[in-house]
Amino acid sequence: MDWRQLWEICSAPDNVPIVGLIPLLIFYIYLAVRQARANDQLIAQLEADPAMAKTHHRKTWPFKAGWQKEVHVWPFLLRVEFLGAIIVTIILMIWSITLNAPLEEPANPNLTMNPAKAPWYFLGLQEMLVYFDPWIAGVVMPTMIIIGLMVIPYIDTNPLGSGYYTWKQRRFSISTFLFGFIIMWVSMILIGTFIRGPGWQWFWPGQTWDHNRLIYEVNRDLPDIFGITSNLGKGIFGAIVVGGFYMLGGGAVYSLFRRRMPKDFQRMSLLQFSLMTFLWLTMVALPIKMGLRLLWHIKYVWITPWFNI
Amino acid sequence: MPEKPIPEQDPITSKSYAAHYVIATLILMATLFWALWDEAWGQRPWKAFQDTWKERYSAFLNTAHSKSAASENAVEKTPDYQELDATVKKATEDSAAAAKQAREKLDDASARLLAVQSVFTDRRAYVNALTYELETSESQSAKNSKQKEIDDYKKEKATVEFPDGSKKQFTFPQLEETYNDIRDERTKLSLELGDVLKPATDARAKRDEYVTDHMVDLTPAQIDGLKTKTANWDAKIVQINVAEANIVDRCESCHMGTREPLKITEAAMTPKGEKKPDEYAAAFVSHTDPELLQIHDPDKFGCSPCHQGNGRATTSVEKAHGNYEHWLWPLYPKENAQAGCQTCHSADMVLVSGDVQFETINGGKDLFRQRGCMGCHRYEGYDKEPEDLNNIGQQIKQIEQQKKDNLKQTAYLMKQADAAESNEEANKLNEQAVDLRVANSKLDGRLQQLDFQSHSLMQDQKKVGPNLKDVRLKLNKNWIPVWLKKPSDFRPTTKMPNFRLSDHQIQAISAFIWQSGFTDPLPKHKPGNAEHGKELFETRGCLACHSIGEGDQMQGGVFAANLSRVGEKANYDYLVRWIHNARERTRPYCPYEKKDIGPEDYAKKGLPYQFDLEHSRCPNDGHELQVQNMTVMPSLRLSPEDAEDIATFLMTQKKQEPSSYADASFMDDPSLKEEGKKWVRHFGCAGCHEIAGMEDEGRIGTELTFEGSKPIERLDFALFTEPAQRGGKGSEPIKDKDDLARLPDGPASKPWYNHKGFFEHKLAEPNVYDEGMVKSDTEKLRMPNLHLSKEQVLDLTTFLMGSQETSLPQSYLYKPGDSRHDIQEGWWVIKKYNCMGCHQFIPGQKTILMGLKQYQDVQEQLPPKLLTEGARVDPEWLRKFLSNPSLSTTDTNRNGVRPYLKVRMPTFSFSDNELRKLVRFFQALSQQPMPYIPEEVPTLTAKETDMARSLFSSTAAPCLKCHATGDPSHDKIATAPNFLLAKERLKPDWVERWITDPQAVSPGTSMPSGLFRQGPNGQYVFAGPTPPSFNGYAGDHHKLLTDYIFQLTAEEQRRVAASMPKAKAEMHMWGQPPSAVQSGQARRPSQAISGGSR
Repeated sequence: MDWRQLWEICSAPDNVPIVGLIPLLIFYIYLAVRQARANDQLIAQLEADPAMAKTHHRKTWPFKAGWQKEVHVWPFLLRVEFLGAIIVTIILMIWSITLNAPLEEPANPNLTMNPAKAPWYFLGLQEMLVYFDPWIAGVVMPTMIIIGLMVIPYIDTNPLGSGYYTWKQRRFSISTFLFGFIIMWVSMILIGTFIRGPGWQWFWPGQTWDHNRLIYEVNRDLPDIFGITSNLGKGIFGAIVVGGFYMLGGGAVYSLFRRRMPKDFQRMSLLQFSLMTFLWLTMVALPIKMGLRLLWHIKYVWITPWFNI
Repeated sequence: MPEKPIPEQDPITSKSYAAHYVIATLILMATLFWALWDEAWGQRPWKAFQDTWKERYSAFLNTAHSKSAASENAVEKTPDYQELDATVKKATEDSAAAAKQAREKLDDASARLLAVQSVFTDRRAYVNALTYELETSESQSAKNSKQKEIDDYKKEKATVEFPDGSKKQFTFPQLEETYNDIRDERTKLSLELGDVLKPATDARAKRDEYVTDHMVDLTPAQIDGLKTKTANWDAKIVQINVAEANIVDRCESCHMGTREPLKITEAAMTPKGEKKPDEYAAAFVSHTDPELLQIHDPDKFGCSPCHQGNGRATTSVEKAHGNYEHWLWPLYPKENAQAGCQTCHSADMVLVSGDVQFETINGGKDLFRQRGCMGCHRYEGYDKEPEDLNNIGQQIKQIEQQKKDNLKQTAYLMKQADAAESNEEANKLNEQAVDLRVANSKLDGRLQQLDFQSHSLMQDQKKVGPNLKDVRLKLNKNWIPVWLKKPSDFRPTTKMPNFRLSDHQIQAISAFIWQSGFTDPLPKHKPGNAEHGKELFETRGCLACHSIGEGDQMQGGVFAANLSRVGEKANYDYLVRWIHNARERTRPYCPYEKKDIGPEDYAKKGLPYQFDLEHSRCPNDGHELQVQNMTVMPSLRLSPEDAEDIATFLMTQKKQEPSSYADASFMDDPSLKEEGKKWVRHFGCAGCHEIAGMEDEGRIGTELTFEGSKPIERLDFALFTEPAQRGGKGSEPIKDKDDLARLPDGPASKPWYNHKGFFEHKLAEPNVYDEGMVKSDTEKLRMPNLHLSKEQVLDLTTFLMGSQETSLPQSYLYKPGDSRHDIQEGWWVIKKYNCMGCHQFIPGQKTILMGLKQYQDVQEQLPPKLLTEGARVDPEWLRKFLSNPSLSTTDTNRNGVRPYLKVRMPTFSFSDNELRKLVRFFQALSQQPMPYIPEEVPTLTAKETDMARSLFSSTAAPCLKCHATGDPSHDKIATAPNFLLAKERLKPDWVERWITDPQAVSPGTSMPSGLFRQGPNGQYVFAGPTPPSFNGYAGDHHKLLTDYIFQLTAEEQRRVAASMPKAKAEMHMWGQPPSAVQSGQARRPSQAISGGSR
């Protein structure tokens, strides 16, 4: 265990936000889950007592006689927010005093740094480059992510759970978010920060980042494993596999919604549902591809003269 | 429901945040103060430095002040000072009354001026403002009205109240006039005051100058000035900004003492009671070499161009010194500080400032050449000849081709002309053919020039190691594999490095070398007299370059090989030839055909088999041949018998019998030859040795010209990258004890992932970065172990660290175009031939011969000092002398100038190129103008000649007693050159300086001082008795003697010599026991002359 290496990575001014990210994420998820649980219990209580449901506007605590039904923004909200502002100011000031901007030597076109890493918030994208062609990882996927985030309000037909924490009312959205952002995006950033060393090789935490390290790794394409040699064959094979993934995946999502969320399913138009299914499956495809690459050294599934997936 | 009970009070409205706010606000305030502190001091650590500086420097100045005041008191007690002081007092008293009066008048005028001025400037401002409005008015009517307003205002009267209380009224023009009048009056008055005070002021200036001149330290007044400056210092960034070179250096913000006029030491800056100097004390010292700062004015050069570091950084010591990961130019460590010289002075071979030699960097430059580093590594400026020769060779080939084409074309044109239809056309074609022939003739001229150049270059081209084509003639065959195993085992001081060869590689290499050597027969020599050979070896000057004896017994220079065991390896007949003339080749080499030319080639053309510098054309193609061995070993012009004697002596130098070496007959195995060739090429042997078939082999190593600025990532620390970055236990990769001892700082304990660390480890153990790696024989690092000492590793590391590509403008690099360039060039030649082994060039420089014990008692037997050689000799004569030091074509077994010296000035057979460089070097070193125009020496009249002769032969200064005359019996005991040489050799003005004060020209010389003394009227008079004919002679006696010497003829000299009494017993009067010189007694003129006169 190379503690010094670990400390060097964690203490780099670049990486401090990411080190901070880990406890903060855990803390806020814990906070949200706790709140959601309390709210879910409250909802159950209110649904059991219609009279009370009508008088109650506030969340978390059931109503009690003598309490105000509504509270003012000033001072009750602002005083908490102002306290938060003070604490954030303190953190920022201490941070700026103690950690200087991580400036490096003058750029030298003859010498590339190794590992060359993107700023921490782009490390997820950089990590995707390992698994996809540059134009897919760098252009198509980010565009789809942005478009996907933009269409959420248009395909989310669930009217519940707006403005308060809840789990029971938005299981699908919350788990999709937890999976897409917390698990996938953040973990790719963590991989890029802590795992990828010189040569963008995989170093477990505590392994020395040795510039001279050599590893033997052969990546194959999926059609090769099945012994397909002709280009046409590869194209057709890949189309079938990828198409099959979307078909089967689409069927699975369909049956999930029909069985577990029939109300939501009924509220959605065909366009909304198929768009959601496509985006959702594409998101799920990313970790599947990562798994294929990392565990079975499969480089591409679908090979065409124009693009490779 | 939540597990917790629902609170009674509404938690949102009832909960108090007071405590949260108090705590958060307190922390916020604390952070705020922290930020303020950080801004004012945390980010500006130099403020603390400056505060401490004020405190400690003031204290230091106080102590300096008392010392200085004491010495000033001492100066003030001298009668000279008293006199000057009295003059000052008197002058002051004399002028006191007048001065008082003048001052009063001046004060009065000033007061009046002030009174007028206040009114006048106010009114003038108003007029000016109105005039501006007038000028900018649009309409004529407005202009008119403004003009009127101005005129009215000017007419208005203003009241001026004078200091004496009187009031006067003036219009504006009057006011202006009055003002100017009073001002003129005041100027006149102050000039008058100056005149009145002048005697006193002058006297005071004289007195103060006297004090300054006679104070060793600063005067108390100067120290007071420093004290005030220090006391009034406000903390601020001290910055040198040179826009032209993009230098911004703030180093002096902490290093406040760098340029202070006093010598500030660490001890002086350490506060009382502290034992060790702290960080501040170390920072405040003055620059170690203030003289350097005078040549390199910090206001122009800054600090970082020499010392590196981050000149702009002020936030911490690490940042400012550039000792952090991303700064590419960290401060040179103290021991490597001279690396900074190399960046701009890469064209220099020797760096000298005054009589301070920069040993570290000079050592590095020298080692790089002497150890043959440039055989494998290209370095701009080193070993240029092969490249130039190559270049010329290509040009020759091109021109030859061109000539052939032209000939062909000529023939074609002639043929065309014959077949031409019209006369006109035929003429035209013929003309073209003629033009081409002329062009060819021009090309011939160019070819000749190129051949001429290559002749010079071929002579200049030297190899560090011996010519291996001669290996069969020269060496004991069985010794070769033993030598290759580990050369330093046989000869610890050898230049030949250890290549870590396997036994098989040794067999293959030695077989290749042996089989590719010449087999020509050598002339046989009979054995000589070893006893006589030993004497010659010890006295002829061999020891200036070669050493003999091992360990503590070793004496002599390390420039060339140690000869202690030469008897085990050498072949006697070859050794005789080598000693007689090392440059003599077995066969000449033709670089054009790339082959060694033998007698058969000469026979084909019917030419005699003769090749030397005069017969250097190839019989086959007419181009220049390499006719000399490429060694710097000169010819000592020994007789063949002497050469035999020395060789016989050297053959006795052995520890074991040559026959005791194990048989190495495998060297004749032809199957090993090819493999051997591969390894010889692989290890780059041809970089230092001449090897058959590898004359044009390229360098195998990386270029090092800018090695110091190579990115650290490009230096391959291999498996030691991590340990080097981390330091600590186990970060030292070198295990071998001998190699470990080569590290200047000992085994690494701190991180050494930097250029210094890389170079030091590489030089100490060149294959260290192979440690732990699995590599085949051809992949292994090839650099051999140069078995360097600690100091040598330090020198070379410094040299490499300074080998940087600089961002400074070209004008900062030391590439002078004037005589300083001649000095620069000359040092390369001087160092190349180890002239400093015998001669002294810079005051304080020690030669090798000076250190030998056989010269301790006979200092006059040492070769002459060349401190002022350029001022002494005629450059044209010097050129002749250097090309033939015997100054004779027949009698060559002698010294031309100093036949009485046993040590011999060798014939180096310099090329024209090097002769020119050397002559210019000597001229430039003595600041002599080039070209040299000899001074006219006046012809003496018969009377003057008589007078001069009487000086020349005076018994008080019998010149011919020591100076050689050409009479063999006398020259045996002579200790100075023949006067007949003077006319051609010396410069008259130098001779005058020399005979008046030889000790100032060449300290320790046996030439007596005080021959002449200066009379009261400035006339130089002979210090001994002079005949009556001198009465009334007003000229300088030393000039008379000089002129006489310059017109001395052989006949005259013989006459004078014959008339002198031959008294060898008196020799001691002049030839004093030289131990007197040695023991440091000031060499005063002998009693005969100076006894009475001093």
